[in-house]
Amino acid sequence: MINLLSALGTIDADTWITVGIVAGILLAMALVIVIAILIVGKVFKVNMDEKVTHILENLAGANCGGCGCSGCAGFAAKLADGSGDLSACHVTSPEKKAEIAKILGVELKDEQPEVAIVKCNGGNENAVAAFEYKGNPTCAACNSLMCGNKVCKSACLGCGDCKNACPEGAIELIGGVAHVDPDKCINCGACIVTCPKHIIERIPVKAPVYVACSSHEKGKEVMKGCKVGCIACGLCAKKCPHGAITIVDNLPVFDYDKCTGCKTCVEVCPRHIILER
Amino acid sequence: MATFIAMVLAAVLTNNFITVQTLGICPFLGVSKKTSSAIGMGVAVSIVMALSAAVTWPIYEYIMVPLGFDFLEIIVFIFIIASLVQMLEKIIQKLSPTLYNAMGVYLPLITTNCAVLGVCELVIDKAAMVSLLGGASVNFLWAVLYALFAGIGFTLIMVIMSGLRERINHVRTPKYLNGFPISMVTASLICMAFMVFTYIA
Repeated sequence: MINLLSALGTIDADTWITVGIVAGILLAMALVIVIAILIVGKVFKVNMDEKVTHILENLAGANCGGCGCSGCAGFAAKLADGSGDLSACHVTSPEKKAEIAKILGVELKDEQPEVAIVKCNGGNENAVAAFEYKGNPTCAACNSLMCGNKVCKSACLGCGDCKNACPEGAIELIGGVAHVDPDKCINCGACIVTCPKHIIERIPVKAPVYVACSSHEKGKEVMKGCKVGCIACGLCAKKCPHGAITIVDNLPVFDYDKCTGCKTCVEVCPRHIILER
Repeated sequence: MATFIAMVLAAVLTNNFITVQTLGICPFLGVSKKTSSAIGMGVAVSIVMALSAAVTWPIYEYIMVPLGFDFLEIIVFIFIIASLVQMLEKIIQKLSPTLYNAMGVYLPLITTNCAVLGVCELVIDKAAMVSLLGGASVNFLWAVLYALFAGIGFTLIMVIMSGLRERINHVRTPKYLNGFPISMVTASLICMAFMVFTYIA
């Protein structure tokens, strides 16, 4: 230490006095600031909801924003006042979620592992093009021009924004439609957020079938835009032996708890858009 | 009035903190993905800049210089700025929860922001202030005003950058430029554009 300092110049009593004064000044300042912060903290104390603090302790603390809130603190506040859904968080472990559910006094829903799936089967072959698009080859740009170059307004544009967003390389473009490889998909939701058409959804891993169409239009309109669009004929709902299908807003909706994978719907669908996985 | 115009031009354009002095790069690259958050960060930085200049200037001028420990300026300023931001956060949280929700998340990021420290260091430097604004301008009021407008210049660049980054999302970039690299290219182009203003100084 002494050798190091002597390389900088002569060390005498004055040097040590200066060092002492500086240390004293800084210590005194730290003391003053600590007292000031304490006083401000006391005067401007905000009564935080204890529930929120407890929930926050149990959340993963990744602040990823995947739930749509600004960080875990925002999500905790939303959970506490009852407007948030615990299943929106995909990062917190099931044990911690059970803990939070106990704090909130709600029952934790049994969560099934899910994967993303593209609910469109159109592509170059089947979905009719409204015009030729020659702009920037991204879905976002294409969609900003008259909602995309397909007659069907819920059609996959096939520019591959989801493919670029996918961190795992699980998405492939086949014939102008994106396809998610369920084995590679980690259910992060990046493609779901990216897709400007909102036609990528989560379905349970064990789901045996899915509807490859997202159009909520009536049958006649769908016929105009696509060879493989759902016309909401309701045959699948009628023929399903387990009552697992209901038609909601011109699209069949599956209750995968009831579905046994008998594939009756796959056979009866006149448009062949209920696909096996 | 002439001094005021010179001050605004210097703070916002010719001596812009991000593009010319390359201070405050972390929020420039980190919080510029969305225009809304860029504006929030910019406003927070502007307020903290003006406030910390208003606090550190008298402390430096009337306490540190007469007592002869002005060589401690960086340590003391960082101390003061960090604690000031902490107190400001608490006060805003109590007085205006709405403002806290809009600005609160950015305040802790500013605690040791180099742009804030930079503006405090600049306004106490008499030679620099004289060269920027002329001899009549070395006083408390001009120091605080300069800090405020430096913050506004900071906000301007943040908004430009976030707007460009939002536009880039609509364009396909080559794979090797995707994401952060293209942002760096954008940043360098903004800086080059603002270098032009240094010639009117």
